[in-house]
Amino acid sequence: MAQTTIPTLHFKEAALELLPPGANFDACLSCGLCSSGCPASGLENMDPRKFIRMALLGMDEELSNTHWVWCCTLCKRCEYVCPMKIDVSKLVFLARGNWPKDRQPAGIVRSCALTQRGASTSAMGMPPDDFVLVVEDVLEEVRATQPAFRHLQAPVDKPGAHFFVNQNSREPMSEPEEMVPLWKILDLVGADWTYASSGWAAENFCMFTGDEEAWRAVIKTRVEAVNALGCQVWLNTECGHSYYSMWQGVERFGLDAHFRMESLITWYARWIREGKLPINARWNRQGIKFTVQDPCMIVRKSFGDPIAEDMRFVVRTLVGEDNFVDMQPNRSANYCCGGGGGSLQAGKREQRLVYGKRKFDQITATGAAYVLTPCHNCHSQIEDVGHHYGGHYGVVHFWTLMCLSLGILGENERRYLGADLRALID
Amino acid sequence: MTGPPRNFGAELAVVGSGMAGLAASVFAANRHITTALTGNSGALAYTTGYLDLLGRVDGSTAEVADPWLALEDLRQARPSHPLARIAAADIRAAFDEFTAFVGEHGIAYSPAGAHNICALTPAGTLKRTLCVPATMAAGPRAVSEKAACVIVDFEGLKGFSAREVVAHLAGRWPAIEARRVAFPGMPRGEVYAEVMARAMEVPATRERLAEVLRGVAGAARVIGLPAMLGMHRPDRVHAELQRLTGLEIFEIPTLPPSVPGVRLRELLEQALPKAGVTLIPQHKVAQVSFDADGAALLLHDSFGPIRIRARAVILATGRFLSGGLEAHPNGIREPLLNLPVTQPAGRADWYRERYTDSRGHPLHRAGIEIDAESRPLGPRGRPLDDRLFAAGVIVAHQDWIRSRSGAGIAIATAYQAVAAAQRYLGPRPPPGAPR
Repeated sequence: MAQTTIPTLHFKEAALELLPPGANFDACLSCGLCSSGCPASGLENMDPRKFIRMALLGMDEELSNTHWVWCCTLCKRCEYVCPMKIDVSKLVFLARGNWPKDRQPAGIVRSCALTQRGASTSAMGMPPDDFVLVVEDVLEEVRATQPAFRHLQAPVDKPGAHFFVNQNSREPMSEPEEMVPLWKILDLVGADWTYASSGWAAENFCMFTGDEEAWRAVIKTRVEAVNALGCQVWLNTECGHSYYSMWQGVERFGLDAHFRMESLITWYARWIREGKLPINARWNRQGIKFTVQDPCMIVRKSFGDPIAEDMRFVVRTLVGEDNFVDMQPNRSANYCCGGGGGSLQAGKREQRLVYGKRKFDQITATGAAYVLTPCHNCHSQIEDVGHHYGGHYGVVHFWTLMCLSLGILGENERRYLGADLRALID
Repeated sequence: MTGPPRNFGAELAVVGSGMAGLAASVFAANRHITTALTGNSGALAYTTGYLDLLGRVDGSTAEVADPWLALEDLRQARPSHPLARIAAADIRAAFDEFTAFVGEHGIAYSPAGAHNICALTPAGTLKRTLCVPATMAAGPRAVSEKAACVIVDFEGLKGFSAREVVAHLAGRWPAIEARRVAFPGMPRGEVYAEVMARAMEVPATRERLAEVLRGVAGAARVIGLPAMLGMHRPDRVHAELQRLTGLEIFEIPTLPPSVPGVRLRELLEQALPKAGVTLIPQHKVAQVSFDADGAALLLHDSFGPIRIRARAVILATGRFLSGGLEAHPNGIREPLLNLPVTQPAGRADWYRERYTDSRGHPLHRAGIEIDAESRPLGPRGRPLDDRLFAAGVIVAHQDWIRSRSGAGIAIATAYQAVAAAQRYLGPRPPPGAPR
């Protein structure tokens, strides 16, 4: 069957429309800081500088067809280091959206289609009833098997709750017991929270297809769900792109959100400072070393360094000052792990692993035994590059280690702990 | 949707995070002045890592061996030059304090000596500079001793050619040869110095490169490499590689984007917050205004407005590349405060007839005027505001590229501006006293 042709985009013209007044791609000095600092450089024989130069030279057909747009993770590090603040990701996003659906990576397209299928907005297609059922089942089991938590709550559709808590589909679909540590933390700090049967899911692969209408539709469902319950805060849990897609979506599409959009990281830090979350590093008597991955979507692309500082405050409190080793570079300058921009579903594993080598080197240089990261895509990719390049580190969620510190981590909530950590609590 | 405004307060706000802004923040932190530093990435990543004070006599092609003597001449010949207006003792103190700070945090420098060092450029020519990073120090030594040396470059690395370096040096240095190797574990294609430098932070990579280097060294005991020996802890990476190879190793700067510049930026971006500086990186200040309570600065990031209140401000926004000065059809402007810019009478006078004219071009001497207290002058020739100070190459009457004095102007004027700001802000404990 003949493949659909990818229409030719006129990148230079499009760039003029995309850029704010006064900015232009002609300002590029060709210095190469973007390419030098981009882990996708060289994949598909392309790099950010080359992309810009080709756009300026009118090489539209080549750029319209390059598969590199699916290797770039839209992490915006190129813009961050560019003295002229040229944002290559805007053109890449445009190029992605220009690919006919049947030519786009099937994994991303499928995830987007599933997200749009029901009220859940779940990229794994989990219907609302199933989600509610899983939450109820897991809750019932915790209450029955963990006496300290026989009164644990996991409310769904509770009107007027302060927090509307989102949930990455991976947990209820594949590892439901991983939801429990967060419930325990929310219980401990006395948070007034709720899940919802509609718009509960975190992920949004539609954003990665470059399909603005699909992106908007997903966010609209979520905004309406939060508005309907009258929650004050939409609380993004340990998932990176869900935050960016929500706040950018609300702004980009002018949606009427009657709530604030906040990150769980900010709240972890706040609860610790307020004494509500009494975690400490006394458990780490072996001096196990940890590093932290800054998810691009919530650090560089959203809150910037202040949230990276909050994250480090949480990690230092949790593992001990001397047991935290920062990656280099870090905070807003950190590298994308290679799992962003939908790349885990883009079907380009070989390129994704080459991309991830940079992250592997960063982690290896720290000598850390574990990487903490509040993002599911970072989590999966960092595990995958670790296996591929023979790394010896583990990847853990914040909630897991927090509950470990608090002595409340249930027996089946230890999936991501290595033998060293298990030995501390068994 | 944008977030609520984020507000920061400090005694001193430094606008610009190039060499001048970073140096000013170092000096301010050492003087117990609470400081907020903002600014875009600027030109630091284009630098060699050498700290030049004065490498050429202004308006001539003669190289300067003794920069301190040349400064005396500069005071006579060009009294308005920013370096001519700062006491030599202060310039030396500024270099010492700056290099001590970066040295403490992992990038050791040779001390500011009595004479310039004859250092290698990316092309293998020689230039005069005052301080070189410890990772490069063996280069000038090898040049003068003419020891048997192999210059190594890497497959896929653009902007640095061992053959070119050797071609320039072989006439005076017969025992030098070029070799090209593959960087271990790197996919084929274009290779960047930054990527290699970060990979060199990994012990296993160092071991593999050491093996490669031992293989090409032959009888030579000295190896020259493009600057790529680590990003975060170059001194340690350098020492480790020397230990693993048993060879003396030196780095040579590369064309931009250059590792030594990125190193300095990343080091200072981490060391300054630890020293108490509030860092708001990679965003340009959009507005500065003064009222009865001090200065108000406004900038924006992707998440919304950021406001800084400060009692005093140091303007270190650089020249055209960094946006400190703007060239318009009808003249050169200082965009942030609309400060008067000393400049040629008309656009036709910006450049001389010949681009390579050894006297340089009048445009490059354009800039803002400051008084003896580092305060930029307003339209009536008076300081625009007692709380505004300036540092770096935005200041007029210098041509830093031609005179090889960029770091010197940045560091020395920053030292002077911070001293003036301190006089305005009031006395502090002496530098080095417990915080």
